[in-house]
Amino acid sequence: MASHEAWLLENGNIKLLSKEMKHGRTAHNMSSSSLRKKSDRSLVSKVRVGFLRAFLANLQEVLLGTKLSVLFFAIPLAIVAKYRNYGSPWVFALSLVGLTPLAERVSFLTEQIAFYTGPTVGGLLNATCGNATELIISILALTQNKVDVVKYSLLGSILSNLLLVLGTSLFCGGIANMSKEQNFDRKQADVNSMLLLLGLLCHLLPLMFTFAGTSPELTAVGKLQLSRASCIVMLIAYVAYLVFQLWTHRQFFEAEEGDEDDDVASEDETPVIGFWSGFAWLVLMTGVVALLSEYVVATIEAASDSWGLSVSFISVILLPIVGNAAEHAGAIIFAFKNKLDISLGVALGSATQISLFVVPLSVVVAWIIGIDMDLDLNLLETSSLALSILVTAFTLQDGTSHYMKGLVLLLCYVVIGACFFVFRSPLDSNDLGLKASPGQGIMSI
Amino acid sequence: MASSEARELLENGSIKKELICRHGGRTAHNMSSSSLRKKSDLSLVSKIRVGFLRKLLVNLEEVLLGTKLSVLFLAVPFAIVAQYCRFGRAWVFGLSLLGLAPLAERISFLTEQIAFYTGPTVGGLMNATCGNATELIIAIFALIQHKVDVLKSSLLGSVLSNLLLVLGSSLFCGGIANISKQQKFDRKQADVNSLLLLLGLLCHVLPLMFKFTVTPSADQVTSSATLALSRASCIIMLIAYIAYLVFQLWTHRQLFEAQDHGEEDDDDDDVVSDETPAVGFWSAFVWLVVMTALVALLSEYVVATIEAASDSWGLSVSFISLILLPIVGNAAEHAGAIIFAFKNKLDITLGVALGSATQISMFVVPLTVITAWIIGIEMELGFNLLETSALALSILVTTLALQDGTSHYMKGLVLVLCYLVIGACFFVFKAPINSSINLEEYKSSQDQVTMRI
Repeated sequence: MASHEAWLLENGNIKLLSKEMKHGRTAHNMSSSSLRKKSDRSLVSKVRVGFLRAFLANLQEVLLGTKLSVLFFAIPLAIVAKYRNYGSPWVFALSLVGLTPLAERVSFLTEQIAFYTGPTVGGLLNATCGNATELIISILALTQNKVDVVKYSLLGSILSNLLLVLGTSLFCGGIANMSKEQNFDRKQADVNSMLLLLGLLCHLLPLMFTFAGTSPELTAVGKLQLSRASCIVMLIAYVAYLVFQLWTHRQFFEAEEGDEDDDVASEDETPVIGFWSGFAWLVLMTGVVALLSEYVVATIEAASDSWGLSVSFISVILLPIVGNAAEHAGAIIFAFKNKLDISLGVALGSATQISLFVVPLSVVVAWIIGIDMDLDLNLLETSSLALSILVTAFTLQDGTSHYMKGLVLLLCYVVIGACFFVFRSPLDSNDLGLKASPGQGIMSI
Repeated sequence: MASSEARELLENGSIKKELICRHGGRTAHNMSSSSLRKKSDLSLVSKIRVGFLRKLLVNLEEVLLGTKLSVLFLAVPFAIVAQYCRFGRAWVFGLSLLGLAPLAERISFLTEQIAFYTGPTVGGLMNATCGNATELIIAIFALIQHKVDVLKSSLLGSVLSNLLLVLGSSLFCGGIANISKQQKFDRKQADVNSLLLLLGLLCHVLPLMFKFTVTPSADQVTSSATLALSRASCIIMLIAYIAYLVFQLWTHRQLFEAQDHGEEDDDDDDVVSDETPAVGFWSAFVWLVVMTALVALLSEYVVATIEAASDSWGLSVSFISLILLPIVGNAAEHAGAIIFAFKNKLDITLGVALGSATQISMFVVPLTVITAWIIGIEMELGFNLLETSALALSILVTTLALQDGTSHYMKGLVLVLCYLVIGACFFVFKAPINSSINLEEYKSSQDQVTMRI
């Protein structure tokens, strides 16, 4: 909460920084806060009964406090559609739409709770709950034995964060600030790029096993062992990243306050709801997310057949776009205001968390349940991941930005999307060993 | 021979005042190994009356006991005994490995001593060549015994170990020790090394890709084409290496000089700043020949017993040649690099790690291929897919890490973790090592994989 001046010698440039430490508010927090609305208390304050008024104020704050609130209607509709057996594609679509505001609210509630728990635990909570949607979808898909859906939805999440969210933010920010210089602190981008490359290595080596291996049985066992060992390494890296980000080198990741616009509801230095109320809402919302995710995972094949899109396209492209919608909007808004550090923090931070936390956690959960999940994405997916990481790392190299960078990232995403659109692999949800891998040039009949 | 100049360098818009001290051709390599020296205690020896004997003993003490690794010298006679008394091949392997560590360090010491007499340029050249004497000798023996795969794996493992393990642990330890300070280094040296490593990677990737574009009727044509391409690439790599030497030792020396950033606290416990040589020229030369012969002997044992050790210890041959051999061979440099990282002298650390990797990639590997050409063995460049992808990603991660000229412990940690993952990969990977890559076998193994039911 104190502002101090620090001289940083960075690449020979002398930068004057004034930092204000907020209550553990990371880029994630600030980005989501752009979707908040100030609650209009005029109606509620007319209610005479004190208890009812407090309750209604709470409800209004939580349920109506976001511009996405209208989408909340999708949730009851989805439940109705499920029980009246309207048609699986409808359940799928409604659940998807309902997940969007829920993800945003979960992030809001974590931030509220962070006011009470202090910056470090708050940061930890944010880091974990920020990807609650992806985590829950993965675990539910695992319990239904749909390992490929898990792998591809997580891959799609990384790709969407690196290329789509980052690309649109840089593009819109570049167009809006055409005359100004757009700078950001490249140290944060460097750390994230390196961690993403570590994740890529852990995916690449099991893939290469298939090509360099001898007998299939030995290869499968070796891949599994290697994947599990790599996941432990990835989790170690993630813990170190948290220590680095929240403790020893906080200054790389602090959101820098330049000129504060009051449209952004960032003056809530005080929480708007109580701790226990926030906690209760969080549990409730997470429960609803779990319910909708279960519908999504169960009806994904039906939706795929009905809409004529491959399951891999839905998992890689559609699911992540929906799951990331709130962060996406926030990142674009901050790019408009030329606050690229926050946009980068959101996009890169999410990608790193999924790559180094959600993915290994899924493998470990699969290990415990007894499912053989390895880190081998196929050749097509691994190469698109590799090139995305490379393109993003090089784009963020020099600490400046313009719209062309954003456009190139966006176009890369469009190409990858087109690739998965035309790529129809017979993804059978029930077999783990009978995968058809067109990357190896065969089709299993 | 030391002269210090104050210069103002305009670098990236910042004005940097640098005191550059020239230590008579001492490269980063020298200074790093010197951290393992001990000052010789001449008190005992000076009591001996006979002049000639005294000089001999001084010489012996300087050479044999002048390093903290001296205790490992005992492994050398043990290894020879084990070989002749037929103790057990795994023992011969283990003892020879241990004995190689102090020998590698002493050779580096002797080359530095000789460099005092020959002047900075030839000294630098000698350092560059003899610094990797161990790897070179192991490579040639493996070649003679027709174990081409062991040879390739050990060279690749050396590059990986330098790039990831040595560099990573140094950056990590340095980052933890200097957590409150800013850690900077000159990125120009890192850039040149990265470029050369990428050139080496290209020379390995293209022959590998030949195998994937093969058509059944063109088998014979392809394998001879791969061989021709490999040999041509090696000549180019050697040209690049010579240019690198010219760049490093003559035209752009200042990029590679060990720079002292501001504070000059030279701890005299660790670094023996010997401006004057400790042994005479001919004495050093004789010792160098003796030590090199010993290295050759132990290397022959190592290469001959590697399969026996692999069976006996339950590790695959590729794991031993890729991971174990290089760790031992690099032990002395490794320790030195970490010590200098602790003192926040990252330029030296980088010089050691990256310089070694570049030398092996650009000098030892092509030299081996050309030696094979002369002997008549068909050795191609190009590893298998797994090793090539590990190499490619290692170079990428290292290049990215060193891009901005600063360091912190997280960078080092990620590099070390990458090495762990690669080590785990080769630990579980048990492939039949053939002495020559047979295209038929490779294709049939691919068919086997694709016909998984």
